[in-house]
Amino acid sequence: MPKRHFKIQGEPLLYSCYDDVVFIYIQFIMEDYKFLFKVVLVGNAGVGKTCLVRRFTQGLFPPGQGATIGVDFMIKTVEIDGEKVKLQIWDTAGQERFRSITQSYYRSAHALILVYDISCQPTFDCLPDWLREIEEYASNKVLRILVGNKMDREDREIPMHVGEDFAQRHDMYFLETSAKEAENVEKLFMEIAAELMEQARSKELPRYDTNSPTINGRTTSIGDSNCCSKLS
Amino acid sequence: MISIKLNPQELGDSGGIQKVCEKIVAEEENVTKQLENLLSRQCHLEAKLRSVTKALPNLQIVKSDAQHLSEMIAHTSNLAENVSAKVRKLDDARSRVSECQQRVHDLLDLQLCSEGVKLALQEEDYEKGAAHVHRFLSMDQTLLRQTADDVQQDCTAVTNSFSLLHKAAELLQTEVTARFDEAVRADDLASVERFFKIFPLLGLQDQGLNKFSVFLCSKLQETAQKNLRAALETRSADKRASVLYADTLTLLFEGIARIIEIHQPLIESYYGPGRLLTVANALQEECDRQSKLILNEFRKHRQLDSALAQVADWLRSANSSSSSANTSGATTSQQSRTDPKNLDLLLGELTIMHARAEMYVRFIRRRVQNDVEVGVSAEVTRGLLMDKLETMLRASGLCHSMQALLGNYLQLEHYFMAESVRKAVALDQLEENLQIQQTSSMVDDVFFIVRKCIRRAISSSSLDGVCAVLNNACSLLEADYCSVLRAQLRHGYMSGYLDLTQAYNALQSSIQQGRLQASDSEKARLTFLAYLNNADVSTEYIATLRLSLGDEMAAALPGMTERDRAKLESCLSGLGGVTASLRALVEYGMSQLSASAIKPRVSPWVDAFLNVSHVLTEEEFSSYEANEPFVRNLVANLESLLSSFKSSLTPTNYDTLVSILATEVTHQMEKVIAKSSFNRLGGLVLDKEVRVLVGYLTNATSWSIRDKFARLTQIATVLNLERASEISDYWSNEPGAIAWRLTPAEVRHFMTLRTDFRSEDIKRIKL
Ligand SMILES: Nc1nc2c(ncn2[C@@H]2O[C@H](COP(=O)(O)OP(=O)(O)O)[C@@H](O)[C@H]2O)c(=O)[nH]1
Ligand SMILES: [Mg+2]
Repeated sequence: MPKRHFKIQGEPLLYSCYDDVVFIYIQFIMEDYKFLFKVVLVGNAGVGKTCLVRRFTQGLFPPGQGATIGVDFMIKTVEIDGEKVKLQIWDTAGQERFRSITQSYYRSAHALILVYDISCQPTFDCLPDWLREIEEYASNKVLRILVGNKMDREDREIPMHVGEDFAQRHDMYFLETSAKEAENVEKLFMEIAAELMEQARSKELPRYDTNSPTINGRTTSIGDSNCCSKLS
Repeated sequence: MISIKLNPQELGDSGGIQKVCEKIVAEEENVTKQLENLLSRQCHLEAKLRSVTKALPNLQIVKSDAQHLSEMIAHTSNLAENVSAKVRKLDDARSRVSECQQRVHDLLDLQLCSEGVKLALQEEDYEKGAAHVHRFLSMDQTLLRQTADDVQQDCTAVTNSFSLLHKAAELLQTEVTARFDEAVRADDLASVERFFKIFPLLGLQDQGLNKFSVFLCSKLQETAQKNLRAALETRSADKRASVLYADTLTLLFEGIARIIEIHQPLIESYYGPGRLLTVANALQEECDRQSKLILNEFRKHRQLDSALAQVADWLRSANSSSSSANTSGATTSQQSRTDPKNLDLLLGELTIMHARAEMYVRFIRRRVQNDVEVGVSAEVTRGLLMDKLETMLRASGLCHSMQALLGNYLQLEHYFMAESVRKAVALDQLEENLQIQQTSSMVDDVFFIVRKCIRRAISSSSLDGVCAVLNNACSLLEADYCSVLRAQLRHGYMSGYLDLTQAYNALQSSIQQGRLQASDSEKARLTFLAYLNNADVSTEYIATLRLSLGDEMAAALPGMTERDRAKLESCLSGLGGVTASLRALVEYGMSQLSASAIKPRVSPWVDAFLNVSHVLTEEEFSSYEANEPFVRNLVANLESLLSSFKSSLTPTNYDTLVSILATEVTHQMEKVIAKSSFNRLGGLVLDKEVRVLVGYLTNATSWSIRDKFARLTQIATVLNLERASEISDYWSNEPGAIAWRLTPAEVRHFMTLRTDFRSEDIKRIKL
């Protein structure tokens, strides 16, 4: 019987003999998806994280919404190779005073999108600080993506190759996007979903456990993936 | 009538003539018919003519009647037109009269007003004066001047009145403003309210509202500062000392709420509804200032910043020590660490502050919303006003302070939870007798702490706060707590000794060498079992925790949106991840237990089967049947093995153990059976033995494990056949037949163990 791959979410309905454990998870029965991934967006306030999420989940560019408070939560189910993949997207507030809230989401993230604004040097200069946070709190298996947003803007301050270099040096995928013009937004999330699905399939059962010496899936998938890094 | 045209050419020959002649004849016939027809109607027509002639005189009368009617209608219409024109004129006239009356009234009032104002000003009766000015302001001044002209009256009187009233209005404005300010200075609330009511009469709504707001703010400032001073003077022995600043902040919020409660009706009745937002705006600015002062004192006196700095240090060292596994560095920094207990009160106060601010913001929102709903009819405008309020609140200093405060709380809570759990683990204690307490002390302690922290977060009324603490709790449980359990379970049961004898021997020799005490080994065994129980009980605690938290949160965070709930649910489901990790740990521990305590011990017990011959004579059979030495021994051994664990394991763990044991026993039984030979009576004995064994083990657990014995039972069935061919009675594809776990090859193989079955017979069987 093929093993059905799923994230353990709910409480088991039935737990019997240990050597042929039968876990029946409520969520597994009720929800029609095989993969659930958590994606967390971080980066300075105002770089367009909320706009990217809205563009992807609702297909719109929101006019003048206020800055995000704490953490916002969106869900979108996509289909990859005929499989339903549920993306849980956590949009964080960039300001320092929300840091304790946002940090608590790093550990369980499957993918972290670090966003800067290509027309705003300071948002790029802060990237090392963000990386330090990621190192500190996130699982070392997390998929990391650097995104230069607002590529539609004429007043570019960060040339694309500078962003690309940075991403390469820090072992991250790279992509430039425009939430405003819907450029590369779909692509960003879909490729993340595809990559995570690939990783999940190559492992037995994904675990967040940092202590267990399971395979580090990311390093193997970095060079040979067609995700982000090759894009122009 | 004759329609035939004679064409000369047609008459050129006789045939032509003939044709024409035929046509003519036909035509003639036709004409004749028509004539007959006409004649037949003559009679009828004549009768009609006669009756018409008779009716002729009557027509004359009808005609004259009709003429008469027409004249009458014309007349009536004329009349009606005349009347309606008159009515219209009358109506015009009437409205002019009333307009005129209004103007006359106005003129008269003007006169009255100008006289009244003079008198009122003299008498300092500002209300009356303002009422006169209000009346005057409601008049159409240009029209009045015209009227005065129209009625040929002396226009100067009106103009005089105008200038007088204008002057009076100005005078009143300055006077009322001055009096208001004076009342504010004198802190004369009655006068403040008195003059506040006069502003709108003078058309000065905005000014009045602003001045009043400033006044309210000054009152607010005064009380807030008084409260803060009182707080700073409170002795530390005071009952409320630990929540002093939360109390002071609460007093500020209550003060604002009271101000709104008291003054909203006043504002609404004298300035109209929809004006509260202006006042709330002003009050919010003062609230921002005052709350900041309180929070500054709070930070200073509670040494919040030094606590935060320590926590930041701890976090840094925790992260570096986890990456470099530098334990000695970790222990030195442990000494300088704050005892998490010392943070308890501070954490409590932080959450109260946040909760109170949330409550206050909800109050303001509700009040302004009510006011806007009453005062503003256009839905769009209402929406805009509410957006304005939200923007104001979001940008307010209070909200920013509270967000920062919540952040501080979360940092400290993170430390509190992690350090308290670390302490609970360090102080872990084991009851010597697992029958009294099956788990070690840390399980209850750890879950008590985690529950306490999450509950405290709930009391902050912040969903983001609750989610963050939940996330941290899941991290802590899944990483730190589980790794403590795992580390213990990794040591294995009996510290790696394969069986009791081996352990006993090792123990003896080490005691002789003075290295080890007997209790150490016993202790290790107990600790292992306790940790196995810890893991199992933890899954139960998590299930309970999740259930109770769900309810508590729904009660503490009312008004959650669908998305909020989904957010919370997602964070709660992190606990499911912890459960999965714990289950994996139990599984791991059980495999350890099985490897050291089950497998090595079961083997010799089952191997005893080989010492008993299963090729029996009748005599041997009856004596064997009476004693059943093998299976009775086996069951007795299993019984003593299980009973040594029964009271030391949680019910779930015990059932798991029985299940493992059952698997192991059947597995080994299969092996020894395969090595034996049987005759008919030996098969009968085996079948009985298997029944006894299965009966014992299935009764030993509350789980249904009968299925585990399916193969063994079937083997016994095969070996207990009367004749080889009898197998076809059992082997069937029909529904309801035995679901065979043995392959046909296995069935055949086991049949060969029967010394009395001939191999040709076995081969002949169709399976
Ligand atoms: N030109 C341009 N502006 C953008 C884009 N994405 C976001 N913005 C603007 O950047 C500002 C901040 O966006 P927001 O999503 O709130 O940033 P966040 O703080 O990172 O969530 C808003 O004014 C957006 O309109 C983009 O792709 N192009
Ligand atoms: Mg945002």
